[in-house]
Amino acid sequence: MELREVISTGNDLAAEAAVDAGCMFFGGYPITPSSEIMHTISDLLPAVGGVAIQMEDEIAGIACAVGASMTGVRAMTATSGPGISLKAENLGLAQMAEVPLVVVDVMRGGPSTGLPTRVSQGDVRQAKNPSHGDYRSITLCAGNLAECYTETVRAFNLADRFMQPVIVLLDETIGHMHGKAVIPTAEEVKKGIVPRKTFTGAPEDYRPYGVGPDEPAVLNPMFQGYRYHFTGLHHDAKGFPTEEIETCRKLIQRLEDKVMMHTDELELNEEFMCDDLEENDVLIIAYGSVSLAAKESIRHLRAEGIKAGLFRPITLWPSPANRIKYFTDKVKNVLCVELNIRQYTEEVERVSSRLDIHGLYKVNGRAISPYEIVNKVKEII
Amino acid sequence: MARTLMRFTGVGGQGVLLAGEIFAAAKIKEGGHGLKTATYTSQVRGGPTVVDITLDDEEIFYPYANDGEIDFMLSVAQVSYNLFKNGVTEGGTIVVEPNLVHPTEEDRKKWNIVEIPIITIAKDEIGNVITQSVIALAIANTYMKALDDELLREVMLSKVPEKVHDINNKAYDLGKKYALEAMAKKAS
Repeated sequence: MELREVISTGNDLAAEAAVDAGCMFFGGYPITPSSEIMHTISDLLPAVGGVAIQMEDEIAGIACAVGASMTGVRAMTATSGPGISLKAENLGLAQMAEVPLVVVDVMRGGPSTGLPTRVSQGDVRQAKNPSHGDYRSITLCAGNLAECYTETVRAFNLADRFMQPVIVLLDETIGHMHGKAVIPTAEEVKKGIVPRKTFTGAPEDYRPYGVGPDEPAVLNPMFQGYRYHFTGLHHDAKGFPTEEIETCRKLIQRLEDKVMMHTDELELNEEFMCDDLEENDVLIIAYGSVSLAAKESIRHLRAEGIKAGLFRPITLWPSPANRIKYFTDKVKNVLCVELNIRQYTEEVERVSSRLDIHGLYKVNGRAISPYEIVNKVKEII
Repeated sequence: MARTLMRFTGVGGQGVLLAGEIFAAAKIKEGGHGLKTATYTSQVRGGPTVVDITLDDEEIFYPYANDGEIDFMLSVAQVSYNLFKNGVTEGGTIVVEPNLVHPTEEDRKKWNIVEIPIITIAKDEIGNVITQSVIALAIANTYMKALDDELLREVMLSKVPEKVHDINNKAYDLGKKYALEAMAKKAS
């Protein structure tokens, strides 16, 4: 793959990735610490014939992006935790009606308006279940500058493949840090785009939701003669509301299975210095900016003769369960480090069936330093 | 080169962010690694702001300076000075704007405190207060010898509009001059 070196911030890289991935519409409302995404994409989109629009609030920001996506273009919105709370209803609608969409969430302290300018990973659980009802989330999490680019690109490709919203989690540290990133060229990104499926038969035969039990809907672009009904209600193959027992059951089961029967296409993680880990060594589990402190701490620990490695989920939801299980079966001392209280630790406990997972958590808007991790590791071994 | 950690502090609106970006970009241009992080408060103007700059030949993971490891700090606001001074290693250099920051006698024993009237120089000698970030850049590099002066200057000029190249060149020269003078004074 052809690569290029850039000097940028995480937020700017997410905006550039969207445009390189073919995004033609951005709807949003500025919110710290994500505002630079909107700022940058507002410069970039008009230059390629796209549209970026600041709406009256967070809800309108996602609603217009959902609408844009229904016309067949790639669309995005960006926000922070308080914005996800407001966008929750439309995330549920896009999930139910199977409209692809990329939502970048640059996490800050919460709940409520919390700590606007400070770092947190408080939206991990929210990203898993932003909506009421059965919502099978696809959530990716960038752990360095380059991934702000590559994971945004991947989010667009997954949204079109699975026909549903995909959330990309950044955090204040990653979004605002400024440095070097080695990323694919725009040409490489374009080569990787697989267009959304469309139905090419006779319009009267078009059944957007009449697909196989683990397949996503086939939504043709609006206004091209392929008509369907669009609703958040339980619906039939043409999209019309129904209460028919089997149709309702099959619909929700399909929304679940279209993701969970294809987790092999979603799972992604990094294993940093994990190759030589044995039973009595230390496995650190961390994601996002915290993984940077974890990597630094592993350098210090290894210099002192303590063998530690980092398992970093990149796809947070659905979790890379098999790899987590593999390592938590193998290594006795497992430490989850998060800028929240146990939001991912609970997932690690679930997939590992272990209740002795150690945790290091911080929720005061400050980063966890490598030394704090080093000290915690020494405490648990 | 071992890791260089620098911290610039001020209050929101003073423009301390730009110097950090220039340092990081220049180090990357040289073939190494540079990272800049900034923390600020929800106060748009007047809230304490801190910029951490990490330069290294090796890959940098954690982007913030660890407290107690910072080699050099520059501060142009008392509130930020008080909040962030303890990040500086004992014996490290802290450059302050003496009209705005008043270190205690204890501070002077613990650190190499250098007084350079950065804002006065920017306002009176250059005639544009915004150039203080370039003066700060030159002072920091003179003390830390982190990067080649001309490389740093070139990157700085690439980040400011051409019509202000002259005053920013002057700001860089003056920053370096005042830093060298302050060093000579301490040595004598």
